[in-house]
Amino acid sequence: MVLCLASLVLKYGYALQITPQAKDQAVQAEKEKEPEKIMPSPKNIKESTAIYVFLVWMWVAVFVLIYILILKIKEVDRLHRIKFFSAKRE
Amino acid sequence: MKLKHSLFTRRQFLNGLFGGWLTALLASFLYPIIKFIFPPTREPDQVILPFPDFKDMGPNSVRVFSWGAKPGLLKKNEDGTLRAFVGVCTHLDCNVTYLPGQRKFFCACHDGWYDENGRNIGGPPPKPLRQLIIVIEGEDLIIKREGVE
Amino acid sequence: MSIKDTKTWIQEWLDERSGLSSITKFLREKKIPQHKHSIWYYTGSAILLFFTIQVITGFVLVFYYSPTLEEANQSVGRIMTEVPFGWIIRSVHSWSASFMIAFVFVHLLSIWITKSYRRPREATWMSGVILLVFTLAFGFTGYLLPWDDLSLAATKVGTDIPRSIPVVGIWGTRFLRGGEDITGDTLTRFFGFHVSILPVLLFILLAVHIYLVQKHGMSLPLTARRKNERFVELPFWPNFVYREMVVWLILVGVLFSVAVFLPPSLEKAADLMAPAPEGIKPEWYFLFLFQTLKVFPAKILFITGDTIAILLILLAVIFLFFLPLIDNRPAERKGKIITFIAYVFIMYAVVMTVWSLI
Repeated sequence: MVLCLASLVLKYGYALQITPQAKDQAVQAEKEKEPEKIMPSPKNIKESTAIYVFLVWMWVAVFVLIYILILKIKEVDRLHRIKFFSAKRE
Repeated sequence: MKLKHSLFTRRQFLNGLFGGWLTALLASFLYPIIKFIFPPTREPDQVILPFPDFKDMGPNSVRVFSWGAKPGLLKKNEDGTLRAFVGVCTHLDCNVTYLPGQRKFFCACHDGWYDENGRNIGGPPPKPLRQLIIVIEGEDLIIKREGVE
Repeated sequence: MSIKDTKTWIQEWLDERSGLSSITKFLREKKIPQHKHSIWYYTGSAILLFFTIQVITGFVLVFYYSPTLEEANQSVGRIMTEVPFGWIIRSVHSWSASFMIAFVFVHLLSIWITKSYRRPREATWMSGVILLVFTLAFGFTGYLLPWDDLSLAATKVGTDIPRSIPVVGIWGTRFLRGGEDITGDTLTRFFGFHVSILPVLLFILLAVHIYLVQKHGMSLPLTARRKNERFVELPFWPNFVYREMVVWLILVGVLFSVAVFLPPSLEKAADLMAPAPEGIKPEWYFLFLFQTLKVFPAKILFITGDTIAILLILLAVIFLFFLPLIDNRPAERKGKIITFIAYVFIMYAVVMTVWSLI
């Protein structure tokens, strides 16, 4: 508790003549300003749009990559079936 | 004009497509991480100080104030006018000090010297000290970056 | 030189100096059997995926986090409000932890139920149980770091638990807390565990675990072996890895979407002198243990209920660790009782978790 008070007072910026009473009042003001809980979220409409755009782009990329991977899987399975990689080197 | 042979095989095309999209996706994940690691450390556009604090400065003296994360130097000249500098050496970023006896700014790191107007006059510093603009409005002493309205 | 020639040149240069080609040859020849239980083979690399994400996000979060009493909460607040994309990176780190732990449980249960821990894979299983403990330790130590009311309370309860073990328990509590009580020292200690000690230990054990998996190959399910079935075997590289990549892409997509829409919040800084806030509970993966402790009465005969609960939990962990030695039948025997115990455990964990939330 003492450490908390101390750090709040130290953060208080450049020097003023502070009486002990004023100090307490200042500390109270600081504590009230301190948010009870920080809920993270995008700060403005630009940021929230950016996030939605990013999510859409990300899923598009994921599905494109999965599609290509499925093609590659089919090809590589086929090669394995016809034993393309076994034994003799070309 | 028709090519005799393909530039690349179907396998190469597919692999290229895959690599390209994967790189794009990874880059889009890397972007926030890079921005996170290199946050913008902007200097303040201006700093407002209480003028009364600085009224009692004697001539040829310097007071330090906070300019973002750097020290700012407020200098009262012989004739009573005020000048403001960013108190950071233009050589390799050490903080400079003012020597009133010699009327020079001095950087201890590599023996850099500036005259009382901030011009680099000796040692390694390549440029003069950065100047800041002073505006006095009533009780407020406003110090601005050059180029800021 | 074309790109292909350059690639070949680099590979040959590396191989001559490192012998890397023996590894790539091994990975091409390694076979993954395909059968109706093959889907569980994907859990291992999923864990690795989430762990990698934890390491990367953890590396950058540690740039801004301050592990001291005065600054911990405020530094996390700064990450969430001032540092660009801070809240997303923290959210990914938090969710990836939950995903990783969930997949560790699924991985463990799938090995248990398919009896893949049997000879010669006992050591793989045992290293895996220790990895489970390390993973939960990561979760536990990480949870305290934001130093808000909830995490402090959860840590107080969590570090108090060893105390119930007779004789030696108090040393467990002192070791975790750095003393009798939770102080700034506890935070520093947990930070040291979370970013230094546990990563090193986990990395070493993971290397052992993965080596053992390669050495013994994929185990086969009992049904296939008993019927002497012929089944398809896929090469690990590239066939199985491509399939794993599909899984990774989907998991990353889900992780990121969840992280963006359900980011964790930050309560105000913990006050060591304040009474415990209402409704404290640990992270979801500890809820069933938490409820187990709550269920036991304060005293049974002359022993505290807590002590009995803890000893039972310890017994369960020991049973888990020595499972391959307890069930040391040859691989072909079905082991119905062991399967039954696994399902009992799942039911117990689910019921207790749900109960703790009501």
